[in-house]
Amino acid sequence: MKRFILKRVASMVVTLWLLSTIVFMVVNVLPGNVARKVLGGQALEEDVIRLNARLGTDKPLLEQYWTSIRRIFTLSFGDSYKSQVPVSDIIFPALGRSAKLALLAFIITIPLSIAAGIYAARRQDKPIDRAIVTVGLSTSAIPEFVTATVLLVVFAVKLNLGKVYANPPDGVGLFGQLEYLLLPALAMSIAYFGYIARMTRAGVIGALHADFTRTAVMKGLSQGQVMRRHVLRNAMAPTIVVISTSVGYLIGGIVGVEKVFNYAGLGQTMLDAVNKSDIPVLQGAVLLVGIIYMVSTLLADLFIAYLNPRVRLEKSR
Amino acid sequence: MSATQPTTSGLSERKQARRENWRLIVRRPAFIVGVAIVLFWVICALFPDFIAPHHPLDYRTGKHLPPGWGHLFGTDSTGRDVLSRVVAGARDVLRIAPAAAILGVFFGVILGLLQGYLGGWVDLLASRIVEAFLSLPVVLVGLLAITTLGRSNVVVIGVVAVLFTPIVARTVRAAVLAERELDYVTSAKLRGESKAFIMFREILPNVSGPIIVELTVRMGYAVFTVATLSFLGAGPPPPSPDWGVQVSDTYNNLIADFWWPTFFPAMAIASLVIAVSLIADSVQSVLEAS
Repeated sequence: MKRFILKRVASMVVTLWLLSTIVFMVVNVLPGNVARKVLGGQALEEDVIRLNARLGTDKPLLEQYWTSIRRIFTLSFGDSYKSQVPVSDIIFPALGRSAKLALLAFIITIPLSIAAGIYAARRQDKPIDRAIVTVGLSTSAIPEFVTATVLLVVFAVKLNLGKVYANPPDGVGLFGQLEYLLLPALAMSIAYFGYIARMTRAGVIGALHADFTRTAVMKGLSQGQVMRRHVLRNAMAPTIVVISTSVGYLIGGIVGVEKVFNYAGLGQTMLDAVNKSDIPVLQGAVLLVGIIYMVSTLLADLFIAYLNPRVRLEKSR
Repeated sequence: MSATQPTTSGLSERKQARRENWRLIVRRPAFIVGVAIVLFWVICALFPDFIAPHHPLDYRTGKHLPPGWGHLFGTDSTGRDVLSRVVAGARDVLRIAPAAAILGVFFGVILGLLQGYLGGWVDLLASRIVEAFLSLPVVLVGLLAITTLGRSNVVVIGVVAVLFTPIVARTVRAAVLAERELDYVTSAKLRGESKAFIMFREILPNVSGPIIVELTVRMGYAVFTVATLSFLGAGPPPPSPDWGVQVSDTYNNLIADFWWPTFFPAMAIASLVIAVSLIADSVQSVLEAS
């Protein structure tokens, strides 16, 4: 197990390095005077020079590259071009707000979608199974911002349930915040539901047809015991993989949802950075998302290895 | 599909299997519904003047008229007919998304063939890069690229294609790995064929199943991504009737109960992505079962 963990962590470090290289290349593909872009054409030359020195954008490209690699491992992403406060002071609070929203979406989605997946799998090819699969397929195909817009129109505007702006005012308690976050979280849940439900269904169907399940039935276990001890335990691994790898998609989708509901999370922060050409903030946010994705994939791998000895033994060979 | 020897009987067998698959696909109701919706939007994109009652940029009608007989979908805050704008807005997404998906699959197939057939350090290096790419949400890289490269359709197509390449490559690589040990590859090697010939003329036709599946699935994601990017501000600039742009232009008026200029383009996006995903799912379930 130790070797397996070490190998996985080492490969994650390599991937992180590649990730920061890719982001660095995208950002620096167009050469240009950063401070001049930030301050505008009319700014004085000495101000431009001073800002470039402050931001470190007057250094040779190779040195800037080295700095950007160091940053991803130290989680300090330099200063914002615009407001000139540390990027981490901007993106971490925003990440906290997004995490709250994502967490609520998770809490709504996971039990429901796993239950729906199991239910559909046990009635494979019956009308109710077809319905769950088709609905799941359709809802996960719709961009989150579209679902968010439709929910906003139907619930917040027409039925007066829920809030149009998701930012809770200061001093609102946890349950008060729920009222503000429910609609955006629901928008993300709807996109996410079909995805997890279909994966769970596929996993359960696979396990239902496996030899070990037939053996369990033949030796006279009750249906409940077969499901709990044999089918679900084996079917959960692909579901866990999907849940962990979809953390990245969840963050991608959150950008649109936050824009629709004007929620001050990481997505909205990135959009602001785009509008102001504030590259360090954008770069920091993208790298942060990449790190979160990789860590969640790593945790999922470890969890699966813990559940299934075959995986950890095979991989450490 | 099993690997068939490149003899005449083998070829016709493969052709027959392909025809049979196609028959199974067309018979699925989901496929028919999907194709009908996509065709409807394609016709809208090609001949907007025939279908739309007004010009998408015509300001003369009244402002903020609710949906009714004069304007089925109402009019927006500058008095433009929402129905006409929804019809005309099909054009942008139907031009950009397929171009991005096809380019992404094209490069992905080449990369996947190289990775799977050549193996070794090429495969190792490419796999790591693929993994790094996969850890980035497509939308975020799109935003990053648009900030540095500027806002244009070419950038959107390029970004989506580049981000789809590794995903396609991963599928193709896996399919090639299963093929490369088969007899027909060995016999081609013994005949002294070049690596390029073996990859593109021998292996490629035999992995066409997964590639077609990947193409239809990518098409759906491309529509999804392009719509999202244009909502987030990476699409064509505002007077354009592009659906994502329309939603982004009007959603701030929702609080004043002017829901129709936002709602109808949003539903148009939903209908198109659902249609494409129904097609993709039909193709996938038939080709992966065979």
